[in-house]
Amino acid sequence: MSDSPRLRVAGLRAGYGDSTVIRDLNLDVGAGEVAVVVGPNGHGKTTLLRAISGLLKPTGGQVELDGTDVVGQSAERISGLGLVHVPQGDGLFPEMTVEENLLMGAFGGGAWRSRRTELAKIYDRFPVVAARAHQRARTLSGGERRLVGLGRALMRTSQIMLIDEPSLGLAPVAIDTVYEAIGDLKSGGATIVLVEENFTHVGQIADSVHVLETGTIVASGSYAELSVDPTIVQTYLGSV
Amino acid sequence: MSLSDIVGILVTTVILGSIYGLVAIGMTLIYGTLRILDMSQGSMVMVGSFIGWGILVVAGWNPIIAIVLAFVATFGLGTLTQLVSVQPLMKRMNSIDFEMVTFITTFAVAMILSNVALEVLGPQQRNVTPVISGGINVYHGVNLPYQSLTMAIVSVVMMAGLGIFLARTRWGMAIRAVAQDLDAARLMGVPVSKLYPLTMGLASALAGVAGVFLGGLYFAYPSAGDLPLLEALIVVIFGGLGSLPGTVYAAYAIGLIQAIAEVIVGETWSLPILYGVILLVLIFRPYGLLGKPSEARL
Amino acid sequence: MSERPSKFATAFPDMTAGRWAISGVLIVIAALVPVVVSNEYAMTVLVTTLILLVLNISWNFVLGIAGVWNFGQLAIYALGGYGAGILMLHTSLSPWLALLAGGVVGAVAAILLAFPTLRLYGIYTSLLTFAFAEVIQYVILNDGSGLTGGSFGLPIVRGLFGTASIASANRSYYWTVLAVVVLATLAVAAVSRSSLGIALRGLRDAPAYAAARGVSPLKFRLIAFALSGFLAGIAGALYVSFNQSIDPGVMGLTPMSIDVTMLVIGGMGTITGPIIGTALLAIVQTALVSHPGAELTILGVFLLVVVVFVPGGIVGLVSRYRKRISTWVAEDDSGGDPAENDDDVQPEGSTEQSVA
Repeated sequence: MSDSPRLRVAGLRAGYGDSTVIRDLNLDVGAGEVAVVVGPNGHGKTTLLRAISGLLKPTGGQVELDGTDVVGQSAERISGLGLVHVPQGDGLFPEMTVEENLLMGAFGGGAWRSRRTELAKIYDRFPVVAARAHQRARTLSGGERRLVGLGRALMRTSQIMLIDEPSLGLAPVAIDTVYEAIGDLKSGGATIVLVEENFTHVGQIADSVHVLETGTIVASGSYAELSVDPTIVQTYLGSV
Repeated sequence: MSLSDIVGILVTTVILGSIYGLVAIGMTLIYGTLRILDMSQGSMVMVGSFIGWGILVVAGWNPIIAIVLAFVATFGLGTLTQLVSVQPLMKRMNSIDFEMVTFITTFAVAMILSNVALEVLGPQQRNVTPVISGGINVYHGVNLPYQSLTMAIVSVVMMAGLGIFLARTRWGMAIRAVAQDLDAARLMGVPVSKLYPLTMGLASALAGVAGVFLGGLYFAYPSAGDLPLLEALIVVIFGGLGSLPGTVYAAYAIGLIQAIAEVIVGETWSLPILYGVILLVLIFRPYGLLGKPSEARL
Repeated sequence: MSERPSKFATAFPDMTAGRWAISGVLIVIAALVPVVVSNEYAMTVLVTTLILLVLNISWNFVLGIAGVWNFGQLAIYALGGYGAGILMLHTSLSPWLALLAGGVVGAVAAILLAFPTLRLYGIYTSLLTFAFAEVIQYVILNDGSGLTGGSFGLPIVRGLFGTASIASANRSYYWTVLAVVVLATLAVAAVSRSSLGIALRGLRDAPAYAAARGVSPLKFRLIAFALSGFLAGIAGALYVSFNQSIDPGVMGLTPMSIDVTMLVIGGMGTITGPIIGTALLAIVQTALVSHPGAELTILGVFLLVVVVFVPGGIVGLVSRYRKRISTWVAEDDSGGDPAENDDDVQPEGSTEQSVA
């Protein structure tokens, strides 16, 4: 058990209806590692995360959390095993207040008892969120929403976090704040799988980088290795 | 219109509004969470009436027992209804005909329940002893029976209780979360396949308790749920499906319209007048007073 | 002369010569039934079932083919019946004209009901129309003016065949209603294959797309309601003249439950579904006639089971099964596309691309 990675994805296949989006995808993420998956839109980044967290039932392959195969289990079950998924667009409950959204983060995983202390920690960490505590989530700005989404993920101790495009749709200043928060998580020892469209913001935090094209991983390595590969640099580092 | 008419209208509004609210709020809760219009809610009222009759008249026990038992029994029945008539269809939830299909299956459950009652208990209208007898004279000639007063109080308490449950408790928040973003709720670990039956059970239990009181006002008989179902439908259209505050406002608004119509044109024509008002509302606001096309609810 | 058959054939593109022949034979057999059946009770049941079939065909058109969740059809049926009945009772109008008048009353009522539903979204339409039906029943039940007779219904109304003996009147009614059934089925089939039918299905399956292509919900829904209301009104008028009375019991939850069950079990939105569902459930009902509670309980269970396990009803089941067989046969032959034009079932959630 101790030598199995925190997350192991092997031969994963998933899609919608008759169309297969993810095919033969392999990915190992060790404890405390931040794995960044980059790839163009429409090539399966979100689908990969949905298949891991159980929102989408994979049609083949394995997803192991600490050596336990979870393929075919429901999202709520997998969540109970310590997987936290911050979905694309945050997945906040729009008509609930910020505080209620955060409390929902403590619904499962035995975190409900300690919800008050965790809530206080989140408010300490993100004063912006504390200031909005009793506002409905739909009234927040994009950056605030993202922070609430991250805060909600922190309401319970997790084995692994999946974060879907944290920079999506945010102003540069807000992106910096969000990545600062993710950097804090990394220093705290969190295991994270993060997907982004490009490398622009992940240089500081990525332990390993994986390029996802047409549903499968086409290149893997450390950020240092891949950031000198000319084809990858051209595609995913762009002007930076 | 004399002062006593006005007092009478206010009293009727409070009573009718409270009871409409209690039956309709369950439909709203179910629609908000599961996106289905539960046509079996009227049958839950009927079952509640018969439980009231069984406990109060046949067994001669305390009304509290009748209320508790009606709550428990219709909770179970509602849960079962969900498991039988809705759960097998949940995989079609995003298809265009989901609402239609579940409308029909819950309607089938209503058919089964009222006809089992007909076969087992017969078509007779059974008198249900009022939970509490007597009344007070509110104003010259305006009498407020304790039964109605109790009913209004119990309804308001239960609606408030539901509100607190949804706003403050872990499972109540989970129901709202599921209504607003199903996938996100599942990622929080909300066990949706358990939550759906429990939600329908809870809504049914409210209708069942309403039935105990309605049985005391009218009778217990196999189609005793038809009129409450119709009234609840009118309330939820008026308030906007899936909006809890909308439902409560609509329940009292409908109560008021009906009370005024009863004074002016008599009881017979109050329902058609109500219908006319609903028509007007829908022509100008196609999603009811506070309803939204298909956004987050509850 | 030579032009007529071809026009007729283009109205029913999926009707092969074989299908026409089978339909013709079935109609002839149905027409010969009164010659064989001499029991008047049986004749009454048959005529009543056929009248119900006319109503179900009309409802299937608006509910299944046009996809408008109209649950007020029984009220329209009743209004047609009351309209025709009141004319037969109080005027010397020919009963045949009163029959047509019933249809007109139904069409007008349906159009009036259609207006408020135009802007409504599915489930609100069902609520509104259901409430409409309940209110119509409530008004008639509580009518103190004597026009409708309240809960007792209209007293003896002249029938279509005035002085004929019961036996010969029953047979005449049978053939009359059968003719209406055949005409109604042909009309609905022709309309649902026409550009009107395509527009209606477009509005049903992809309302935004259809509207963007210029299909006017106002125009087409009104036409659908009018046509379906006319048929329902005729059915009501047939009911009142055959039974020589009508009462508010023709409306309400119980008859509606039975009709919905017939449509769903047969296959809603198909041409033959109402016929199969009505016939099948009429048999079940007749077998259980002395146990009204048990009858509806069983129908309720049927309804539940069919909706959950047999989407598309019996017609859907049969056409899936046939498709499987013909696919299998075709694979042996050539591997062509065998499913083409083979059924009149609309697959679930299908989107019409060919909106005119």
